[in-house]
Amino acid sequence: MKLITAVVKPHRLDEIKEALQAFGVHGLTVTEASGYGRQRGHTEVYRGAEYTVDLVPKVRVEVLVEDDDADDLIEVVVKAARTGKIGDGKVWSVPVETAVRVRTGERGPDAL
Amino acid sequence: MTESVEAKTEAASGTASGTAADSVPGGYAAARLRLLQEESRSGPPRRTALAELTDQWLAALLTGGAREAGIAERDGHAQGVALVAVGGYGRGELSPRSDLDVLLLHDGSADAPAIAALADHVWYPVWDLGLALDHSVRTPDQARKTAGEDLKAQLGLLDARHIAGDAALTAGLRTAVLADWRAQAPRRLPELRELGQERARRHGELQYLLEPDLKEARGGLRDATALRAVAASWLADAPREGLTEARRRLLDARDALHLTTGRATDRLALQEQDQVAADLGLLDADTLLRQVYESARTISYASDVTWREVERVLRARSARPRLRGLLGGRGRGGSQAGGAGAAERSPLAEGVVEQDGEVVLARAARPERDPVLPLRAAAAAAQAGLPLSLHAVRRLAAAARPLPVPWPPEAREQLVTLLGAGESTVGVWEALEAEGLITRLLPDWERVRCRPQRNPVHRWTVDRHLVETAVRASALSRRVGRPDLLLIAALLHDIGKGWPGDHSVAGETIARDVATRIGFDRADVAVLATLVRHHLLLIETATRRDLDDPATVASAAEAVGSTTTLELLHALTEADALATGPAAWSAWRGSLVADLVKRVAGVLAGEPAADPSAPQQTTAEQERLAIEAWRTGGPVLALHARSEALPSGEPAEARAGAPASGALASGAPASGAPDRRTGAQPGTRSHAEPGAEPGTESIGVELLIAVPDQPGVLPAAAGVLALHRLTVRAADLRAVGLPEELTGPAAPDPARPAPGAGAGPGVLLLSWRVAAEYGSLPQAARLRKDLLRALDGSLDIVARLAEREAAYRGYPRRRGVHAPPPRVTVAPGSSRLATVIEVRAQDAPGLLHRIGRALEDAGVTVRSAHVSTLGANAVDAFYVTDASGAPLRPVRAAEVAREVERALR
Repeated sequence: MKLITAVVKPHRLDEIKEALQAFGVHGLTVTEASGYGRQRGHTEVYRGAEYTVDLVPKVRVEVLVEDDDADDLIEVVVKAARTGKIGDGKVWSVPVETAVRVRTGERGPDAL
Repeated sequence: MTESVEAKTEAASGTASGTAADSVPGGYAAARLRLLQEESRSGPPRRTALAELTDQWLAALLTGGAREAGIAERDGHAQGVALVAVGGYGRGELSPRSDLDVLLLHDGSADAPAIAALADHVWYPVWDLGLALDHSVRTPDQARKTAGEDLKAQLGLLDARHIAGDAALTAGLRTAVLADWRAQAPRRLPELRELGQERARRHGELQYLLEPDLKEARGGLRDATALRAVAASWLADAPREGLTEARRRLLDARDALHLTTGRATDRLALQEQDQVAADLGLLDADTLLRQVYESARTISYASDVTWREVERVLRARSARPRLRGLLGGRGRGGSQAGGAGAAERSPLAEGVVEQDGEVVLARAARPERDPVLPLRAAAAAAQAGLPLSLHAVRRLAAAARPLPVPWPPEAREQLVTLLGAGESTVGVWEALEAEGLITRLLPDWERVRCRPQRNPVHRWTVDRHLVETAVRASALSRRVGRPDLLLIAALLHDIGKGWPGDHSVAGETIARDVATRIGFDRADVAVLATLVRHHLLLIETATRRDLDDPATVASAAEAVGSTTTLELLHALTEADALATGPAAWSAWRGSLVADLVKRVAGVLAGEPAADPSAPQQTTAEQERLAIEAWRTGGPVLALHARSEALPSGEPAEARAGAPASGALASGAPASGAPDRRTGAQPGTRSHAEPGAEPGTESIGVELLIAVPDQPGVLPAAAGVLALHRLTVRAADLRAVGLPEELTGPAAPDPARPAPGAGAGPGVLLLSWRVAAEYGSLPQAARLRKDLLRALDGSLDIVARLAEREAAYRGYPRRRGVHAPPPRVTVAPGSSRLATVIEVRAQDAPGLLHRIGRALEDAGVTVRSAHVSTLGANAVDAFYVTDASGAPLRPVRAAEVAREVERALR
């Protein structure tokens, strides 16, 4: 199993959800996140006061999938999240040892 | 019914056969299960039956245990020991998963090992069944001592009930505990109240929560129990109407909740509500919640009344010795008190006074002739952070006549003041709501009243959410130019809930109607309608749309329309989210919304902003006064009474100082002339006695002052008005140059300071809209005299105002109410001729005087000023220049703003 994590622009969330559903993913976790990548912070003027934005709002989407699906799924997320501009985000995957469905106690791929 | 009789018989036969029941707990368990599964019985009969069944089982356990432990018996009852049910079990009300609160009482005659063995014999079977047991083993003295130290133990013991064993022992304890409670009530009831308030802080108010705790929340079962404890103290008693019924409904809901969840939970969570409603035979979860809310309202209300009564009784007791001392010792104040028992009263507003920490109606108040009185009293109470007395609310509800439509300006201002008071708004709003005054003022409120919302993000019912949004909005009032519109929009933004379709769309229509009825002009109504229609626009766009896409920003800008509206919508969005629940707002969301607002503001910046510095028309009267001021070299005043019967939609004209036609009983304006004419001047005639004519109560006056230009005019004039207890609702100050041909012939007084360089001689024209804090308006002649003295320095306004404030310090005004701090900013680039300093602060007596003085101290000259008071918020703009008449440099302007802000803190 793999855990796919995507940190993307908030407004792409709806598209990503739809794309994942179409792909057949049943569950996902969404967290409100902030951070920056290569774009770093930038300076803004708001209500007459200057302030530095060093953290940009993002959403973090996490999905557990079987190994075989991981690459396709990353492709799906990337396609749905892309706007072509700076700050579109990142998607990565890590191996997962095990997963348990709390209600039934099922383990491994059955728990997905 | 037959089944349960069987169950009881079985349990009873178990007792009769002695050892059968205690050795075989399965008998009780089976009977208990049968009872709980029974369809035919629920509610109070089931709770009683469950308690009885449990009594019989525990009685058998005690008897068996006593025999084994070798404790003496008489007539089949163990001697010197007793099993006592306390708390809810003591009241004979057992919910399916309630704790068993049991006390094993012994008189100390048996030895310790025997008592320990007996306790084991009783407790273990209960534990083995998996029932929650709250147990203790005590002698009566120990029990009383524990009760003396622990209020919760004391409350439990008030409901002590004998189950088995030595009945005399239990009876003795009961008598002693009740006697202790009565004796210590003056000390312990405040403790009990504190406990309840602490609980309310932690668990909130049942009647407004979407997932309420039926036991702990305010208005829940614990509060009902506390009322029983108050009644047991014989100090006060709760109003009984509906109380038993309310308790029963809450207990029934809790029973169903216990059975549904299979756990001892008291929190009616969203996912259980449908099942609980079905179990209770109710139509749906909304019906269940409404029923629960109504019950909680009854209990909360009974609590409020009871606790206030307790406080009154206790205060009366503690005040007696002090009063005696006063009468015997110092005679001072004896005559002022005006008779025995007269409590101290201090005025808060016209017809409204504070008495004994409550807001009551003044003796002279006439609710039947003063339709604004309910709102005025409520606003005064909320601003002072005091409760509105029950008697006052009831009297208002019974006597007040409906407000004319559209509302008079004062009513609108009072509503805004009420909404802008912060946390204390909630209590006052509730008091009005309880007596139906809110629905009378705003008939559309009925639909959102007690309305649950099935939404996991929301915490409150719709009505409470709306009030809560206004509370949150009041904290943001310094951020917007029109706090009044923000507060009204906060109150109305979800008013469309409960109507079919999108609640924003339905809400827009209702908001338009309400705003028109409460007397906003057409432009303001349009802004309010936009705010309600688009109250979700910013949060939805910011979190779901691409902010980098110009089309996103453009469409938001189109919907919003102006920067003023955008500023309001931004504050409303934040207030709404904060009032929704902890999940609805975060720094994350805040930064997204702020980003969107900034981008939209960029698009809207192209729109021309209204320039308040545009020259205004000088009326003939103003010109006449200006010339007279110039001629005489001293201030000239004119007072106009202004009635409520303004043509709607024309407040701007009235504010600018034009006499309101038809309102002038005396016709000619009064002009303050030189001193020698003071006695005969018409100024004394022109002031209207408030309430002299029913129907046209004057709500304030237009005051025109013309003074030859000189330093210190603004603080002097504002200070004199404050000294005369006049509240400034709006003010306008500007320097006018007089045409040469008018001023030419008259020789100016050489002693007078030279007028401004360049243009003709300068006169400052101040037009004020003022209202008396209470009582009648002062005479123009006296105002003028004081103004003269203030200008020549013989009247020390600062000292006099400080004296006044010191005199008030005795009264805890604004108790626990914290207004947001003042905010002074430099408006960027809004005028080429002067720097614009914006001041937003909580309105207070002498505020304008303090601002004026701070500006003088900063060494700037006020060229013109626009002061408005919206509810309790002052929103002022000052156009200032340096001594040479040029705008300030940006650094200096920021310094001045900081200095003024410091002076206002």
